[in-house]
Amino acid sequence: MKSGFGSPVSGLGFNTGFLRHPKPETRNPRRRIPVLEAVMLLAGLLFVSPCFLALLNSFKTLPEITLSPVALPKTLTFDNYAYLFTGVKLAKPMLNSLLMCIAVILSLITTAPMAAFSMMRRPMFTGRFLRVFFLAGLTIPFQIIMVPLLQQFRLLDIQFTYFALLVHYVSWGLPLCIFIYSGFMSTIPKELEESAAIDGCGPVSTFWRIIFPLLMPCTITVVIFWGLWIWNDFMQAFIIMGTSKGQLVFVQLWRFLSDKYVKNWNYIFAGVVVLSMPVTVLYLLMQRRFVKGLTAGAIK
Amino acid sequence: MRKHLQKIAASLILCGPAVVLYGGFIVFPAILGFAYSLTNWNGWVNRPRYIGLTNFRDLISDTVLPQAIRFTLFETLLIVVFFSFGSMLLAILLDKLKIMKGLIRGLFFYPYILSILVGALLFQYMANFREGAVNTLLRAIGLGAFAQDWMGDTSLVAYFIFALVAWNGLGFFTTVYLANLQTIPTDLYEAARIDGAGALTVFTRIQFPMLLPTLTTNSVLALITGINLFPQIVVTTQGGPGWRTFTVGYYIYYLGVLNNRQGYAAAVSFVTFVALVGIAGIQVALLRRRQVAL
Repeated sequence: MKSGFGSPVSGLGFNTGFLRHPKPETRNPRRRIPVLEAVMLLAGLLFVSPCFLALLNSFKTLPEITLSPVALPKTLTFDNYAYLFTGVKLAKPMLNSLLMCIAVILSLITTAPMAAFSMMRRPMFTGRFLRVFFLAGLTIPFQIIMVPLLQQFRLLDIQFTYFALLVHYVSWGLPLCIFIYSGFMSTIPKELEESAAIDGCGPVSTFWRIIFPLLMPCTITVVIFWGLWIWNDFMQAFIIMGTSKGQLVFVQLWRFLSDKYVKNWNYIFAGVVVLSMPVTVLYLLMQRRFVKGLTAGAIK
Repeated sequence: MRKHLQKIAASLILCGPAVVLYGGFIVFPAILGFAYSLTNWNGWVNRPRYIGLTNFRDLISDTVLPQAIRFTLFETLLIVVFFSFGSMLLAILLDKLKIMKGLIRGLFFYPYILSILVGALLFQYMANFREGAVNTLLRAIGLGAFAQDWMGDTSLVAYFIFALVAWNGLGFFTTVYLANLQTIPTDLYEAARIDGAGALTVFTRIQFPMLLPTLTTNSVLALITGINLFPQIVVTTQGGPGWRTFTVGYYIYYLGVLNNRQGYAAAVSFVTFVALVGIAGIQVALLRRRQVAL
């Protein structure tokens, strides 16, 4: 783009046009002050300001938070963070949550595409029946199945165990994953499998050798969506695991820090910052992937 | 024959795990829930006994339930209107940005990736009467008279819960609209510009009609969000003050998990589910019709 400033005065050797045209913006509409951008940026910053507040206050002592909640901390104290690992013992739950994420994701990215694949190449009737059967799951709210599910786990004698939670998370995730995978698979040309079949490949090995590697974009979506979901979940984990044994991170945070009447905000802020940090870093590194992955179910 | 058997075995291997897990731990409990709604099951160790439709008859004389339904519907209304139109407006504004697009959109999307618990704790802190950030700010700028107990006041608490849900979800709904806005061909805008159409005309004649499919999706998703509102209640008000913020979801939790009235809880959840499916069905049908008309 050509400069909006006036022509350089010859002989001086540099551009002095700005001296004669103090308001070049009015001449070139592309150079206007981005008012909308400025307003929206401010609005956006205001929108996430609670997060900044949490970060700021996590370095203060509790009296300081009460006296001056929005000021910069006078001295940086890391005691709040230290307490998270000594008092709340957040390290083990963090590992638990990470392992749970990995276990659920591994189960989902194998079972869901297999089911979607087998549904795709079926005669009209059974294929459609299975599709409706799985899609119905998207409408079932957790509160409906919560109580009978607890009873079921009790009868199976796996109540309050990680295994029960894993089973629940996987089955809870299946409908959406199958939905996403089915949409993606319908774009894979049929010839691919047909040629595999001619070469003597059965359906199972066709899936693993030919189809599964092609599903990478979809798998990334599923990993982001459910990884984030399970890391952030506390309600279902709390109801299914109870409060007795080992915990996932947010359940632990909730149990220790959010007493209804007395709130140690300094620890809460530190906890919130620590538990949101992994998610935030990943989000900053791959914002596009995140946005795409998290809205995949709705846009399809 | 052997080939046929092989085919069946292959389907079993491929489809089996998903059907067993999903059927056994989502569909089966949902059906089991209906069966339990016909029993007087109370307490995990007791054996449920069949009592017919007594639970459903009790629903009519329940005093908490109408209150919970009213509150849930009120929240749902706020949520649906805001996520349908508020986020549409935001998406249109964000679509107009020329510079810093990624940054600004990223800011609005950010709360969506945080846990509900994080949002709830931050909002609880901000809304606190004595030491909350909102009231401190109000007092600092001399508007201390406007300081409120945002979470404890019976007339404000509904908006507190709404603000919490709106903050968490806005990024998601806006992004879905943005994705749709980007599919509108640019020559439509060009043509409108040549014809001298203003921003409002562009909105009513081009953007709004083109966004209708997403409006359908978003309003249904917002409806589901609203009717299922429940973790937010557990971590903030726990139904209080009084019974003011009982949602239907929280009521089921309160009955089934906290108070060992599983049979009755199952009856409440069954009725809710039927109502949810009904309302969503009507909504989809209405919006579809409108889409065709435009």
